[in-house]
Amino acid sequence: MRKTFLITALLFLGMGVQQVFAQTTPAHALKNVTIHNADGSVTESATIVWRNGVIEAVGTNLTIPFDAYEIDGGDSLHVYPGFIDGYSIWGSPELPRNLPDLDDPGNPPYDRAGIQPERNPSELLTEDKSFEAAIKAGFTTAALYPNGYMLPGSVEIFYLSDDHNSVELLSDKVGMAGSFDTAPGGWGSGAYPSTLMGVMAKFRQVMFDATALQQHIKYYSQNPEMPAPDRSRVLEALFPVINNEVPLYFEVDQKEHIERLFKLQDEFGFDLVIVSGKEAYAKADELKRRNIPVLASVDFTDAPEWYKDMKKEEESDDSDSDETNEEISEEEQAYRDKQLEAWKLEVANIKSLMDAGVQVGYASAGLELKDLSGKLETLLEESGMSEQNLVQVLTGNTADILGISNTHGSIAKGKNASFSVFDKQMSEEKAKVLHNITNGIIHELIGE
Amino acid sequence: MKKLLTLCVMAVTFVVTVHAQEKGSVLIKNATVITVTNGDLENTDVLIRDGVIENIGKDLNAPRGVETVDATGKFVMPGIIDAHSHLNGVDINEARNPVTAEVTMEESVDPNEVGIYHALAGGATTIHLMHGSANVIGGQGETLKLRYGTTQDGMRFEGAKRTIKFALGENPTRVHGQGNGIQPRTRMGVEQVVRNHFDEALDYKRKREAYLEVKAEYDRRGRGTPPVPVAENLRYEVLNDIIEGEIYVHCHSYRADEILMLMRVFNDYGIKNYTFQHANEAFKVAPELAKNGAMTSVFSDWWAYKFEVYYSTAYNASILNANGVINSINSDNNQLLRTLNHEAAKVVRYGNTTVNDAIKMITLHPAMQLGIDDYVGSIEEGKHGDVVVWSGHPLSIYSIAEMTFVDGKKYFDRSNDPDDMRIDINPGTDFEDGANFREIVTRRDEDACLQDAFILMQNNTQN
Repeated sequence: MRKTFLITALLFLGMGVQQVFAQTTPAHALKNVTIHNADGSVTESATIVWRNGVIEAVGTNLTIPFDAYEIDGGDSLHVYPGFIDGYSIWGSPELPRNLPDLDDPGNPPYDRAGIQPERNPSELLTEDKSFEAAIKAGFTTAALYPNGYMLPGSVEIFYLSDDHNSVELLSDKVGMAGSFDTAPGGWGSGAYPSTLMGVMAKFRQVMFDATALQQHIKYYSQNPEMPAPDRSRVLEALFPVINNEVPLYFEVDQKEHIERLFKLQDEFGFDLVIVSGKEAYAKADELKRRNIPVLASVDFTDAPEWYKDMKKEEESDDSDSDETNEEISEEEQAYRDKQLEAWKLEVANIKSLMDAGVQVGYASAGLELKDLSGKLETLLEESGMSEQNLVQVLTGNTADILGISNTHGSIAKGKNASFSVFDKQMSEEKAKVLHNITNGIIHELIGE
Repeated sequence: MKKLLTLCVMAVTFVVTVHAQEKGSVLIKNATVITVTNGDLENTDVLIRDGVIENIGKDLNAPRGVETVDATGKFVMPGIIDAHSHLNGVDINEARNPVTAEVTMEESVDPNEVGIYHALAGGATTIHLMHGSANVIGGQGETLKLRYGTTQDGMRFEGAKRTIKFALGENPTRVHGQGNGIQPRTRMGVEQVVRNHFDEALDYKRKREAYLEVKAEYDRRGRGTPPVPVAENLRYEVLNDIIEGEIYVHCHSYRADEILMLMRVFNDYGIKNYTFQHANEAFKVAPELAKNGAMTSVFSDWWAYKFEVYYSTAYNASILNANGVINSINSDNNQLLRTLNHEAAKVVRYGNTTVNDAIKMITLHPAMQLGIDDYVGSIEEGKHGDVVVWSGHPLSIYSIAEMTFVDGKKYFDRSNDPDDMRIDINPGTDFEDGANFREIVTRRDEDACLQDAFILMQNNTQN
């Protein structure tokens, strides 16, 4: 059984207030563990002390405070900074179904056009088994957005927990979610925009309308004798994007889509974070030039079956492999060459981006957590990425991109106590999370 | 492992080939050159340098490093231009509103479509990628050079005029009138949709300009009464660009009465550059078309696929040509796009149009309709090196396109023509599942330009 220990009432307290309580709230200490830092360095026989959700001390030969509740790792446990999901749909309400037909599909209300930037995940969070799975997988922190279409809502960052009721807001409205998704309803009961080019055009129009409304509000504040503006929660939610106060988190994979997104960025000048970006490697130099970070998906295609078989054969025995080799045509062989090349490029996406100097973090972007370990394994085997690279992407880099690196993404004094304890190195086979500490709260996973 | 390594090296080589330089140089020797604008020149050389035709003459020498092609006994013709194609559109119809001038096929280009290569193999070098015909005023078109292997932007024909699709008759009335119960339901309604939107656009323009003027004044002086902002409106901006002549209209149409109707509307708004697409009944109003300077782009012999397309004749192109209408022959079909030379040949066969005029209908005339005749459509010094080497006269049924050049770069060579020319492989697609990529012959029993939108009409019949 999983148990959640202590410290719940003080979750929401800010750093400044904590000192007042410092001596009254018991500390926690995790000792004799191996710490794998986000920068790749490793500290053995280390101890972490935290109180009120904040790391008080970390290192070797520490004096553990007298009031600390101690956990002994016995020098066999491995601690990693908490994994951060940079863009996830966990806890989002289901999409509406069976939409009624519209009288005038060419002029739908905003929500039916897929334009709902006024929605915030903190107001919508609902039950989702993924939260429990995320804790088990070592995730402590996530940026969430509501499920939707072209502009589904804001991006907000949360401290994770295994139950949606105790998932707490860390930072609100850090970005605006976006995609090239067409309006809901498909061909049957759908609305404008129903195509990619329609979405491009509608995006522009919404930006123009929001710009005009903002101007009107400004003029009206200077001169209340003029006609009052028609206020709009939808358009006003876009002001922070127009004013470059928050970036647009835009989910795209195809390189052509990334080019289309560049075009919109050139026109409107908004700040951009690319989410998923499976073909971002093809645009790495341009991403670097534009200083656009990528929250990359690892949900790449499964390796071709023939390739898996070939690898299996190579691993098992090379002496009589000829027997099992099927005869294939020259044409099929040529296709396989191209197929493998395409697959390798996809798997090497994150590595290619890192090599090009693009800032890369992690986003599940729809990947189910049960598939994560398999994907990470492939990543380590096939892309030339080290475990250190991977940890960097899953922790420090994602924290940087989300703008929370002052509190998250590493295990250090003064940082938020969000880390996970593995029974062996995470890259080893069957490595498991034993404890997940999010914001100082211990989620005990032993025995599951 | 060694085997794997070899595979990767091979694959990398392939990618490099595809992304080779954009412009090329070549000397084509001793061909019969169909110039289109200056007759057929026998035993003549064409020198293309850095993408441009530099010299046409006899006994030309290849500059250093320039490849020479011996075309003795062969024909060289300008690359075929298709004024009506949906070859590589990501989407074709934004069919949810009767007017969608704000959308553009420029943002709906799939540069990886293997059909681009198939078209090159048929001697085509430029297409007009069009929005569909579901809407009265559809989306803007994009003129593309068939530079297979480049990006969507790399395919764009720099300097081409902006274009837009209009559609009259059954398609918009069925999709919107019958399908959604909104205007237009009749041909009268179609005219009114056009007029209303032009009027609204002009009204918008007045208001927007007035706003910008007062705003500039207010922002400068910092006092007075600020104006109520008028948001930029993409749809009306494009409609104004049409009225101001910056965008050429390509109008899907069949019947003579609706062709006359639109010419009257355009005369009222001062719109001058336009082409009627399909226009099966255009022959009935050929003198009126010529008088208005209207152009046509027709099928050689394709009709009876719906009610409004029964009254048709294979003499349409010839009659239009004889009346001085700038006419082109188009495909509106990915298979026909590969054999547009045969479609041109039919015009000679049916209506006794001269061979050179028939060739104009797939080269210079579509170039004029797209506003690219300064660059392509004939073999002239200074024009782009978009040329095709044919094994014999291109209007002969026995002739085959042997090499196709775009900007002097060879994109198709029959002597080096791999089986599988796909450039965008989905690694999840197995060989067997993807092997149908060669199936380029599709049914031709509907308007290609209503693709995707039929379901909107079917939907309605159930209601």
